[in-house]
Amino acid sequence: MLSSKSGMRGLWFIMPAVVTLLLLITYPLIYGAYISFFDTNLITKWNFVGLKHYVNIFSNTEFVERILLTLHYTFWVVVGHFVIGTGLALILNMKLKGITVFRVILILPWLFPEVVVGLLWKWLFNPLYGLFNAVLMKVGLIDDPVSWLGDEKTAFAAVIVVSIWKGFPMVMMLLLAGLQSIPEDIYEAARIDGCTRSAAFRYVTLPALMPVMVVTLILDTVWWFKHFTMIWILTQGGPGNATNVVSIDIFKQAFEFFNFGKASAMAILVFFVCWLMGYGYRRLFGNGDD
Amino acid sequence: METTKRKFSIFNMGMYAILIVASCLVLIPALWMVSTSLKSNEEVMISPPKWIPDHPTFESFTRIWKDYPFLDYFLNSVFIVVASTAITIAFAALAGYGASRFKFRGKGTFLSFLLVTQMFPSIMLLIPFYKVLKTFGLIDTHWGLIVVYIAFALPMCTWMMLGFFQGIPKELDEAAMIDGCSQMRTFVQIILPLSLPGIAATAIYSFLMGWNEYMFAFILVTTETMKTLPVGIGQLNGFYRVVWNDMMAASIISSLPLIVLFLFMQKYFISSLTAGAVKQ
Repeated sequence: MLSSKSGMRGLWFIMPAVVTLLLLITYPLIYGAYISFFDTNLITKWNFVGLKHYVNIFSNTEFVERILLTLHYTFWVVVGHFVIGTGLALILNMKLKGITVFRVILILPWLFPEVVVGLLWKWLFNPLYGLFNAVLMKVGLIDDPVSWLGDEKTAFAAVIVVSIWKGFPMVMMLLLAGLQSIPEDIYEAARIDGCTRSAAFRYVTLPALMPVMVVTLILDTVWWFKHFTMIWILTQGGPGNATNVVSIDIFKQAFEFFNFGKASAMAILVFFVCWLMGYGYRRLFGNGDD
Repeated sequence: METTKRKFSIFNMGMYAILIVASCLVLIPALWMVSTSLKSNEEVMISPPKWIPDHPTFESFTRIWKDYPFLDYFLNSVFIVVASTAITIAFAALAGYGASRFKFRGKGTFLSFLLVTQMFPSIMLLIPFYKVLKTFGLIDTHWGLIVVYIAFALPMCTWMMLGFFQGIPKELDEAAMIDGCSQMRTFVQIILPLSLPGIAATAIYSFLMGWNEYMFAFILVTTETMKTLPVGIGQLNGFYRVVWNDMMAASIISSLPLIVLFLFMQKYFISSLTAGAVKQ
């Protein structure tokens, strides 16, 4: 390090960020935890109820069902992101001709605002005038128009497809960046040692990519576990409870039913689920150097 | 030799085939958006739909500015996002530099905290923010949302800047300081100019985050003329008759700034993403 008494100066540099985060994240979080112990409309009514909301949440299976539904959703979305994202990142890293064009095209979904993606797919899925039904009917896969977002059986799958479409570029970019940071000479050394293409992938690429993959996996999982906007635009959690993931549920609890206390309690529980998932991944992949 | 070469080119063709299929899956919805936006009200409601409208028209693109307060939405978004990005970048650069160059107590805690913030469901912040902003009369103001977007973007941006600064050799700082530069001057005059690509990438991230954010803007702003683009476009969805062509035109206009911004800066973006993600 630069000098022995540089410690204090380091603190000065991070001070603005620390103060901002304390004021804008830590304080609201503590305040949110505080609200979760009250039965409140945030203005006039402040009745302390202790752990009542938490007991209430666990007194029936509703909340657990939401969490399971959200996990189910997150699982398929993340699997989709990784299968497509990893595949495309590997290809984009191959230095084929004209690759930049593909790279720009494939990043597009990430650049569209979530609201736009939600509306666009709602339009594509439109039962009467949507492109999706028109194509499927022309090909002969379906005979009559299907209301993809209006049917409990298909809405869940439809929401997953849209989420994969929107989110794979981020995984692709993170992994591509990871691939590009692997030095060329390692591959050269492997080739000289008689490594085949697939062996080089197995023994050079994969281990070198592992740290990026773990971080990407953690971030992608928690990001999509908490996802709200596109599902809100597409189905508002319906039909029935088919796409009622936990973010939507909390949002309705707070701003439709004005149960701010219960909503806060649910949000705190969701944080623990996210934290557990992050912890689990780290244990699983042995990335314990944090 | 001949056969391996042939096998190789077949392999390459397979790769191109995958890229083309994937690109089509991305482009078809995007082009459908363009196609819809160029249709008249009557032509949108034709089944089966046509790819190329019979009478292409720009009336949706003129209508969104006339019939809806779209200009207000647009200007609100620009102001809020530019202000929050500027402040975020300033704080993130300072913090990233500090964390990359110094050892101090609590540094590990600080860095893990940045990652832990990603685990909070943002709705967990929405309720307290709603209450606090209400108390301070910041509901329906630009500053309310600016503050929120700083809070959202700062952790990831600090992380990205940290990764970037770690890639700049410390010897540079030392050389500058031996020549009599103060720490702050070294940072501003030597290191910052070298970090422009990293700053560009971080700015894109912050800009995107603010430009796209929907939930907070939806709750924290209620006056029509103070709304941001995502909320403004999103509520076209709620009217009893959905005007798809206007909605798609509005969607295109609101996506364009991001696409243009990205095309100019994409070179920097991918390499800087790594920096933050890899060298944690």
